[in-house]
Amino acid sequence: MNKTALKTAVAGVALLSMMGWAQAETVRVTVAEYSSKTGPYFEEAAKAFEEANPDADIQIEVVPWDVLLQKLTTDISGGANADLSIIGTRWLIDFVDQGIAAPLDDHMTQDFKDRFFPVFLEPSVMQEKTYGLPIAASARAMYYNKALFEQAGIEEVPDTWDALAEAAEKIGALGDDIAGFGLQGKEIETDVYFYYAFWAYGGQLVEEDGTSGLDTDAGYKAAEMYKSLIDSGATQPGVTSYNREDVQNLFKQGKVGMMITAPFLSNQIKEEAPDLEYGVAAIPAGPDGDRGTYGVTDSIIMFENSQNKELAWKFLDQLFTTEWRAKFTSGEGFLPVNPEVAEQPAFADNADLKEFTALLPDARFAPVIAGWEEIAATTSDAVQTIYLGNGEPKATLDAAAEEINGILGN
Amino acid sequence: MNPKLKKSLLYWALLSPLIVLILFPFAVMFITAIKPANEVLSPTWWPREAAWRNFIDMWAVTNFGNALWNSVYVSVLSTLLALAVSIPAAYAMSRFRFTGQGFFRQFLLVTQMLSPIVLVIGLFRLVVWLGLLDNVNSIVFVYGAFNVAFTVWMLQSYFSTIPKDLEEAAWIEGASPAKALVMVFLPLALPAMTVTAIFSFINAWNEFVIALTMLRRQESYTLPIQIFSLVAGRYTVEWHHVMAATFVATIPVAIIFAWLQRYLVRGLAIGAVK
Amino acid sequence: MIRSPLTNPYVLILPGFLLAAFIILWPLYQLGTISLNDVNRFGQLRGFNGVENYVAVFTDPDFLGALWRTFIWTGGIVFGTLIVSIPVAMILNEDFYGRSLARVIIMLPWAVSLTMTAIVWRWALNGESGMLNSGLQGIGLIDQNIQWLARASTAFPVQIMIGILVTIPFTTTIFLGGLSSIPDDLYEAAKLEGASRWQTFREITLPLMKPFLNISIVLNMIYVFNSFPIIWATTQGGPANSTDILVTYLYKLGFRFGKLGEASALSVMMFVLLLAFTILYVALAMRRERT
Repeated sequence: MNKTALKTAVAGVALLSMMGWAQAETVRVTVAEYSSKTGPYFEEAAKAFEEANPDADIQIEVVPWDVLLQKLTTDISGGANADLSIIGTRWLIDFVDQGIAAPLDDHMTQDFKDRFFPVFLEPSVMQEKTYGLPIAASARAMYYNKALFEQAGIEEVPDTWDALAEAAEKIGALGDDIAGFGLQGKEIETDVYFYYAFWAYGGQLVEEDGTSGLDTDAGYKAAEMYKSLIDSGATQPGVTSYNREDVQNLFKQGKVGMMITAPFLSNQIKEEAPDLEYGVAAIPAGPDGDRGTYGVTDSIIMFENSQNKELAWKFLDQLFTTEWRAKFTSGEGFLPVNPEVAEQPAFADNADLKEFTALLPDARFAPVIAGWEEIAATTSDAVQTIYLGNGEPKATLDAAAEEINGILGN
Repeated sequence: MNPKLKKSLLYWALLSPLIVLILFPFAVMFITAIKPANEVLSPTWWPREAAWRNFIDMWAVTNFGNALWNSVYVSVLSTLLALAVSIPAAYAMSRFRFTGQGFFRQFLLVTQMLSPIVLVIGLFRLVVWLGLLDNVNSIVFVYGAFNVAFTVWMLQSYFSTIPKDLEEAAWIEGASPAKALVMVFLPLALPAMTVTAIFSFINAWNEFVIALTMLRRQESYTLPIQIFSLVAGRYTVEWHHVMAATFVATIPVAIIFAWLQRYLVRGLAIGAVK
Repeated sequence: MIRSPLTNPYVLILPGFLLAAFIILWPLYQLGTISLNDVNRFGQLRGFNGVENYVAVFTDPDFLGALWRTFIWTGGIVFGTLIVSIPVAMILNEDFYGRSLARVIIMLPWAVSLTMTAIVWRWALNGESGMLNSGLQGIGLIDQNIQWLARASTAFPVQIMIGILVTIPFTTTIFLGGLSSIPDDLYEAAKLEGASRWQTFREITLPLMKPFLNISIVLNMIYVFNSFPIIWATTQGGPANSTDILVTYLYKLGFRFGKLGEASALSVMMFVLLLAFTILYVALAMRRERT
């Protein structure tokens, strides 16, 4: 038994002895609303926990994704934050820098750590301490419409961006309301949609010297490629009015040949457009064989000022058992972050999910930088300017890179 | 054709572009609300079959009843609160000349100018300090306070039109000022109070930013927040449910409006300029 | 006179004053403090730093763009509403068949929360699934889908139009009140003297309506300047900040980028700006009235 485990055990015993006389202890949990299933799932988990621990009171606070960061910010500034919260892992650095997130290592046993794929646990390790547990994970892959491919006479699923451009033009020629490649140009993750090509051309978000990588050949080429797709009519018209959900809707209607998005689209198609014939493939590679998918994890963190850390941890421990993980992951359409969950037939035999997990070695996570949201917004603005034709790719990206360098503190 | 009919046709024709624009979102709301799930994405103007079930499903899926109750609770209580503090203040403003009256008037104009979104960071700290976070009552207080300026202003201009002689006559007959106020003055002021109450109610019913910041759990959400949460950053948006919820949320206020519309005009006419 | 708390004006205004002051001035004081401090993204103060936050806001090019657009936005909606509401109120003031129905319809947008209106419009303006495009195609006005929200040149005018639509009910109601306060004999006298309709409007209606016009302009200015949901729900200020106004910029600054110090500074600046405008306008309007 190592030292940490011992401490945990001692603390656990102390807690148990307190439970005998303690009043009901409250643990507040802020959760992001991924879909209409999120709230009910956490309520159920809370109920099960309260049954096992009659003195505990778990309060679930469901918050829409769009306003999660705002709520957390105001909560923390007012000292009214919950005990546990789901956050985007890319925000974690700010929470750690300001001493708001509590390190979890003292609670974690080796056995607990082994429940996770290391690749997903890694992003929340900072200064050699673990500050968050991956609650949701997803990666991106390319969906393609088999019927449209057949109509346009495309036999091979494009594996490079050149091939994709060619295929997209063929599909775009099928009809006025058919587009070859669905390009997202609005709201959350507009920058990410640009990175897919940027990474393929060998780009890096932050160069080794700590400056932005947008003002490199990779950036210019990716932007020019997207712009030429727009100009040749291979994408849907008016890309800057389409957010991720809008492009997905086009795909579900069979109006788009290819698009890049997360595993949850499969779930939606199953429910809303069961007749759609589609496939999932890797994101195309660049001329030198580079390719990258975007890996996203959301983490659940514990707040440093929580009064009930032990009980909160106990609830986390329940959430990360195989049974509860499997339920959450399949309900929301995320990737399994736990090997035991991944081995369950529902996940292991899912062909779509396999494509996503196969991409994981290429997965890039949002860099761990304070102020990342602002950098992402600057990038989104720049690519929107290019898509609209209001600025030359090179000049626009150079200006954006300069602004980002300012944020990075260079 | 009689002249009035001719005039009516002309006026309706003149108004028609505006009416079309106004009714358009309602049509969109209603038609989307009754489309079956698999037809929502195609922009047809009439669904192949009306899926009335959407309303029932929506009620359950969106936690509608609860949000409706919260909205009613918040709107009614904040209106009562605003009226309770505004009636005496407006009475004082219309009946007495006193030092500091100008200051109070300016103070009201300033509070009128601050929108909740500008203040939200400070407001949040206040609510936390009071320990009222995630408590619908905090919203009641904030809405009440934000409505004070408007209600005082509306009421005092109306009160000024009620002749002072009436109360003075009551005083001479031996009624206490309190009795005179309740028996003579307030009944006369009832229409103005009704109009003012409607305004307060609607402001509270529609408010968004404060509720979004102060309310944490779904059990305490008001309608605008509940509906916003159906479209904000979800991985998929069930537009037919959103529109059904919007439609149902709109009906009660629309009915109040249709019913009280003539009083509204009269009340505002007096309130606005005096 | 009988002594009673009810005859003491200070007692009477006290509850209203306290409630409003407590809930409005206290947060304002907080904002002022935050704006003069170095503050981390969670609102914890890290020491006094003078006007640095203000300078940071001023030197941000996005701020100037948003400021300029706020003027267009506020001016466009207030003026547009005025232009539409005056004739509408004059029509609704006449006696014609179905007037109550027409009044109810014109008032209808008032009954819907701005957030919901904006959400509905966002859906209606959707390029492929939106019913505006299919409606316009149906009546033959356009033959190709327009991507309304794709660029500022179409998105911003549409947003202003929505703003006008939701501002009309309140404005029209005030004007209706004003019109009904104009005595009929004035019009009859004008008719007897052979005044044309236009003359009657200019010489009688407009001057008598002036106080009502003024009040509606001041109030609308305040409301529109602070209006957040329409732009936020349709474009979030995009693409590339091209539809940002000050309130959406404020929201991004404070809650997206976590720059609470700058956001508070901006809040204070917006407040001062609005105050200055209102005072200016009220002073101007009153002077003109006096002469």
